[in-house]
Amino acid sequence: MQDVYVVGAAQSDFGAFPEESYRSLFATALEHALDSVDGQLDRTDIDEAFLGTLGVGGRQLGLSAPSVTEYAGLDGTSATHIENACAAGGSALRQAVQSIRAGMADVALAGGVEIMTDMSGDRTRYWLGVSGETEWERMAGTTFAGVYAQMADAHMGEYGTTREQLSTVAVKNHRNGAKNPHAHLRFECSLEDAVNGTVVADPLNLYDCCPTSDGAGAAILASREVAKELTDDPVRITGSGHASSRVGLFQRPSLTSIPASQGAAKEAYDDAGISAEDVDFAEVHDCFSIAELLAYEDLGFCAPGEAGTYIESGATEPDGERPVNLSGGLKSKGHPIGATGIGQAVEVFKQLRGEAGDRQADGLERGLTHNVGGSGGAVAVHVYEGGWA
Amino acid sequence: MGAYLSVPAWWRNLDGRYRLVVGECQECGGYTFPAEGACVECNAIDALTPTEPEGTGTVVAQTIIESGAPPEFTTLLDAEGAIGVVLVELDEGVRVPGMLTDCDPHDIGRGDRVTAVVRRIYEQEGITRYGTKFRPD
Repeated sequence: MQDVYVVGAAQSDFGAFPEESYRSLFATALEHALDSVDGQLDRTDIDEAFLGTLGVGGRQLGLSAPSVTEYAGLDGTSATHIENACAAGGSALRQAVQSIRAGMADVALAGGVEIMTDMSGDRTRYWLGVSGETEWERMAGTTFAGVYAQMADAHMGEYGTTREQLSTVAVKNHRNGAKNPHAHLRFECSLEDAVNGTVVADPLNLYDCCPTSDGAGAAILASREVAKELTDDPVRITGSGHASSRVGLFQRPSLTSIPASQGAAKEAYDDAGISAEDVDFAEVHDCFSIAELLAYEDLGFCAPGEAGTYIESGATEPDGERPVNLSGGLKSKGHPIGATGIGQAVEVFKQLRGEAGDRQADGLERGLTHNVGGSGGAVAVHVYEGGWA
Repeated sequence: MGAYLSVPAWWRNLDGRYRLVVGECQECGGYTFPAEGACVECNAIDALTPTEPEGTGTVVAQTIIESGAPPEFTTLLDAEGAIGVVLVELDEGVRVPGMLTDCDPHDIGRGDRVTAVVRRIYEQEGITRYGTKFRPD
């Protein structure tokens, strides 16, 4: 089995861009990703492309992968769309890893794109709910904010997690994202702001929710042989994990954890030959504040029920024992569904190479990305290390 | 169009909509709602026997939707100002999602007892769709 290296990775700005299309955003991300490769790599060297997108916003387009790759100069290259709701990007990355490990490709592209801000409110309300359990959960009146609110309610009730602990996620991630030039919401917020936000789905308020964004990401993966020719500063993907679970929360055994996160983490840790304590930093799927707290527990960063006190201790701040969401996370950087999982890989790539600018953290050797689809129907976890195998 | 639920898709599950019919697994004895697909407890296939529960249970998680309800419920949210949505663990030991009714949702929380009642859920394409909501005991 071939070792897999990330030789280039970049994202477009995340935000609201009425002047851009899903194709132009992807082309921008790919250009920047090619530019980020240390050596000379031509786009025609890409053997295989996987594109994560829910369906290009609410358009539900067929052939979305070749539509963007042809625009970006990859006409003729194998291109396949991967759909796993908000985990589409992480799932595309998984496919790219597998294609190189299997020896089918020497260079593979994992991309992601979404356009979410250009539709009327009426149409947006219809398509945003497509990734949940649509027949029962949705018909009980919940969209994603409601389902995560129920998880927050259960976590607060079972473990005593507090309003302030939830809001600390927003305060931390906005502080980090304010330093990220590609972030959608580049403002800081106080704990008081975050506690007193307008209620969306009680107990979650506006500050507990990530925005919907336009954006794209691209990660270029290569075999060891190719990577050796391209860089002296390699980032290796040492672990890949992927799991699924019941799409509807009401059918799962626990309301306070995401089984697919636990399953994907275990596979990724086993694959990398590490355990949770070996992870120096992580980009986790904080679509809602409670989701970041659940991730701490499901990934094994702290014990079940202790995520509130864990974040309160400062452990996941940039100068803490295990920084989480140095990019600003979904909360501040933004959440263009299919691009999110690739955006996470971009941040880990930059941090491990010391290229994260004002938000660079010190002493990082091993990073993790955690990308959740829906409220936990599918999860992708990857582990990255600097240096050659 | 997004998460549109067609009339046949609603109609084929009327036992679950009106009476919360659950599936009792002939392999492990666990319950699955709705009564179709693999058993949520043991993944057994073709093992669910439809069973009608009492319709009584306990709230295990709650939210109060104040904005961003699914579009089918926009009119209801405008009229009510807030919609209480709960997960109820029925006394048979299976969880179902549903809306609260006949109460101020702010008065209801985890641990409260509720009973299933048939109510109008929403109207689409001129057809009123009925289903189950939960009323506090």
